[in-house]
Order: sequence, then C-alpha cells, then structure tokens
Amino acid sequence: MNIKISKIEKKTIIEVSGRVDTVAAPKFEAAVKEQITDAEELVIDMDKLEYISSAGLRVLLWAQKTMTDRGDMKLINVHENVMEILEITGFSEILKIKQGGS
Amino acid sequence: MKSGGKKKIIHSVVFKSVFGIVLLLTAFSLVVGVIGFNSFTYALLDTYSDDAFYTADTAVTCIDIDRMDAYAESGGKTDEYKEAWNKMETLCNTSGVTFIYVIRPDLTDYKHITFLFSTINYNTDYSCYEFGYVRETTNDEYREKYKRLYSGESERELVIRDKGYIETDPHITAMIPLKDSSGKTTAILCVQRQMETLTGVRNNYLYKIIGLLVITAVLVIIGQSLYLNFVLLKPLSKITKETSRFSKENTAGKTRLQETIKNKDEIGGLAASIDKMEERIVRYVDDLTKITAEKERISTELALATKIQANMLPNIFPPFPDRTEFDIYASMDPAKEVGGDFYDFFLVDDDHLCVVMADVSGKGIPAALFMMATKIIIANYAKMGKSPSEILTAANSAICSRNQEDMFVTVWLGILEISTGKLTAANAGHEFPVLKQDKVFELYKDKHGFVLGGMDGMRYKQYEMTLTPGSKLFLYTDGVPEATNGESQLFGTERMIEALNKQPDAEPKEILQNVRRTVDGFVKEAEQFDDLTMLCLEYKGKDDR
Repeated sequence: MNIKISKIEKKTIIEVSGRVDTVAAPKFEAAVKEQITDAEELVIDMDKLEYISSAGLRVLLWAQKTMTDRGDMKLINVHENVMEILEITGFSEILKIKQGGS
Repeated sequence: MKSGGKKKIIHSVVFKSVFGIVLLLTAFSLVVGVIGFNSFTYALLDTYSDDAFYTADTAVTCIDIDRMDAYAESGGKTDEYKEAWNKMETLCNTSGVTFIYVIRPDLTDYKHITFLFSTINYNTDYSCYEFGYVRETTNDEYREKYKRLYSGESERELVIRDKGYIETDPHITAMIPLKDSSGKTTAILCVQRQMETLTGVRNNYLYKIIGLLVITAVLVIIGQSLYLNFVLLKPLSKITKETSRFSKENTAGKTRLQETIKNKDEIGGLAASIDKMEERIVRYVDDLTKITAEKERISTELALATKIQANMLPNIFPPFPDRTEFDIYASMDPAKEVGGDFYDFFLVDDDHLCVVMADVSGKGIPAALFMMATKIIIANYAKMGKSPSEILTAANSAICSRNQEDMFVTVWLGILEISTGKLTAANAGHEFPVLKQDKVFELYKDKHGFVLGGMDGMRYKQYEMTLTPGSKLFLYTDGVPEATNGESQLFGTERMIEALNKQPDAEPKEILQNVRRTVDGFVKEAEQFDDLTMLCLEYKGKDDR
C-alpha cells in the first residue's frame, strides 16, 4: 500500500494505492488521522486501490463520522472491484462515492 | 589447554614489549659505539701522524741530500754513509718510531724499491733491510704515493694500515721527498710508527659500550617485566577471570572490577566498561526472562481463548440429532489464535431455526472480544422472537451505544420456518449467500444494509424466500473468496461456486470439505490471511415417509 497526500487550501486529497489489508490498515489509519485534523474537505482518491479489507473500511467509517461534524468527505475514482465491496458491506449507502472507470 | 593458551598470550605481550625496547637500545648503542670508535680513531691518527712527520723532518737532517748518489754508490761502507746511518738509528731508537728508511723506487713503473738507509727500533721484533735491498712495492697505494712525491704533486704522504680496525699491529707510514739543492727529488724518506695504543683504547671503549648495553638490557627486561606484570598482566588476569566467571554464571559479581583495579589508564577504562556491560547484560537477561514469561503466559491464555471461542460456537454435529427436517454443518478456522468471524445457529422455538454468519472488522483479540459480544446480543434478540430486520436494527443500536473503537461487524441472519421452508433473512453488509434451489449453487444477490456498529439508527430490510426440500444454503465470510495465493491472486467467488458445484448433492459436511480442499489447493504454501468460516444448511422438509 502507498499513500500520497496533497492539500489545496482546506481540501485534503489522500491518494491510496495498492492493497489496504489488515497489515496495511494501521498505516492507512495513521495517515488519515494525521491529515484529517484541520481538513474541511476530505477526498480519498481510490483510482489505484486494488483491494480494501474490513480493517480498511473501519478507517473510512471513522473518517466519515469525523468529517460529518466538520465538513465533507467523498471517495473518487472508485473502481468496480472496490465498489463491490462497498456495496456488499452497505458502505455505499453512507459514503459519498464518485465512481471511476472500470 | 585453556590456561596454557592464556599464559602464552601474556608472555608474548611481555616478550614483544621487552624485545622492542632491547632492539631500540641495541640500535642506540651501535650508533654511539660507531661514533665513539671513529672519534677515537681520528683523534689518535692525528696525534700519531703529527709525531711521525715530526720524526721524518728530523731524520732529514741526519743525511746530506746532495750526497744521495754518493750514498747509493757507497755500498753502505763509506764513513760518510755510516755516520749518516748511525745518526738515523739513534733518532729511530729515541723517537719511539719503528722504522726510518730511505728508498729509491724504480722510476719507470714504481714497482720496485731499493733501500738506501734502513734503521729499526731495537724494542720491536722487526729487523732492518740491508743496504741496497730491493723488494716489490707493497701495493698500489704505496706506488701511487711514491709517484706523487716524485712528480712534485705533494710534499708529504701518509699511509694508514688500519684495515679491520681490530687487526693487530696497525701502523702509519709518513713519507716525505728528499730534494737536493736543485729541487730535484732524489729519494723518499719514510717513517713507520706502530699504533699499539690505538687498538687497546678503542677495544676498551667497545667493551665498555657492550657491557653497558648488556647491563641496561637485563635491567630493562627485569624492570619492564615487573612493570608490565603490575600495570597490565595482574589487572588483565583479573578481568579475564571475571569475564570467564560471568560467561558461566551470568550473574553480577560480588565485587565490581573497578574496586580491585584502580588503574587510571585504558585498563581501568576496560574494567569500568566490563562492569557496565555486566550490569546491562544482567538487566537485559532479567528483562528477557520477564518478557519470555509474559509471552508464555499470553500464549497459554491465547490457547485457552481459542478453545473458549471454539466452544462458544455450536460445534457438535449433528447438533439436533432428532430433527430430520434439516441438516447443518459449519466450521471456523481463525487466521490467528482467535478470530473475528463467527457462525451461530439455534432453535428459537420448535418451528424456527435461526442461522447467523458474521464477520467482525479486523482480526485477533480485539475482533474476538467484539465478536463474543455481538454473538450474545444477536442471540438474545433472536430468542425474544423478533424478526430478522428487528433483530439487526436492535443489535445495531446496542452495539453502536458502546462502540468507541469504531469496530463493526457484517451479519447475515436468517430464520427458517421448519414446517414450511419459509426463510426470512436480512443482510447487514455481509457477503451474498449462495443458494441451491434446483440443481446447482448460485449466488443469491440479496438486499444489503449497512454493517452493524457502523452508524446508529440504521434500519435493516428483510426479505423472504421459500426453500423446497433438497435446497441448500451456503454462508461464508470474506476469508473464502479473498483467500490469497503466493502470486497475490484472490480465490474469488467464481472458484468458490465451482467448488460447491463439484458435488452439489453431497451432505453439508462434505460440501464444506470440498470448498476447504479447493481453497487449500489454491492457496498452497501462502499464509492464511483471514479467518475462514463456512456454514451449509440443507432443508429436507417434513419427513413424510
């Protein structure tokens, strides 16, 4: 898993690539927690994300809960395989998602 | 063997140090010796040669140089010759020289000399040459010097026979040309003087230097050995003893090395370092022992936890031996000692069987604790007779109210009315169930709600279907489709369904074994990454036979 972060004023974009599994999830969590402190808008770019496990979903859930009080959070460029996971787990109902290409 | 080796090392340290000093001392003595030896030689040579030349100058007055040809023709028998010879002999015996003689070399190649006068000191063992004696010139050096004196190139020459320095009878020969009144060289007068004291004095000096060297070397060897023994070997052997004791016992010594080794040098530093090292190692070993004990305790507890968790799930099959309307089989293999997956099934009442398949986010102990709580909460609500939608909604509220860690759990829950085959189910973010209604297993894409524990106030919709006798329901957690092989490939839902359809009519137990075998064959040597949990329910309907 790799994480790339870019900031435009109060908007934070977290680009996450590779596999967010149980091993990588703590790193993902730490990165999100660090970036989220002063962000008003959080964008998670999943263009290069191959797989996300339940531990990774937990981080998304926590981020969503935190951002509801403060501003806005959305996932962009979500591909089919990840989308499937989000739909099965019902996360697609509580997260703002913009789908990407196949 | 060991102690022998140690001694050898210590000796070699002393030997090297002493050997170096002795070597330096010898080199120093050699330099002093050579300088002193040469100084002596030059000083004495100066004195001897001055003396010889002085005698030579005096000897010239004994003879009349203008009468040299007459002397040569006299045959040594004329009065004139005898008078001169007598004067010369007296001079020879009073001046302390060995020889005084007058020669004429043959002037073509200076290879032979003819003695005109030859007088000797009677205190020596030598004898003098007779008048007119002819002999070969001793060597090229003499020859060269004769030539120079005859040609007028020099007025005095000195030959030093001091070869080898310690050779007996070193001597010098002072030579001056005898020139007649017209200035022509007619003969050479030579004075030979022995340098007996030179050898004696020089040798004496050498013996003293050698003696001094030997005495100093012995003193240095003894002194250095004692000194090294005191400052190096004793403390070193203490250190060696202590370190070998420590390596055997691994406990702090009764006295610290620093207390017995007071050196304020590198040895003292070494002792202090070893003291510190021992302290650290002892502390480290203590810590390690504690950590190991702690680890063992944890692993014992984990093993126990594994059993407790396994026993929490219904694991005696067949679970309801007297119920012929259905067959059920399930298994859970945690990736770690304890897992976050669980299945559950129980009779709510005589006609209703509740089946649960759930997967907690994460793994290990946190997931296991969360799983235990969830299992109990769901079972409690189910046993109150609620519908699947009500059970999940209530369980979600209960879990959310105490969920600080944002853990969540995906749950599929179904209640089978045994008499009719009506299945009412709800899905909280869990994998799609697989259903075999007719001949083959197919993925049943049911409606999904959000995971339990994710957000308070979520509502869960339920759906209904009717199972005909022979129908089978396969439930699983994502550990099955997401089992990963060494090339990071996922097992996938399609392979799972293929595995199910190998023997779709087999008993639930065999079906689960088929899937498990296929997963194992796919994953091979790769580490099991996620909990692997499966359940298969077969509805047989009322036994009318």
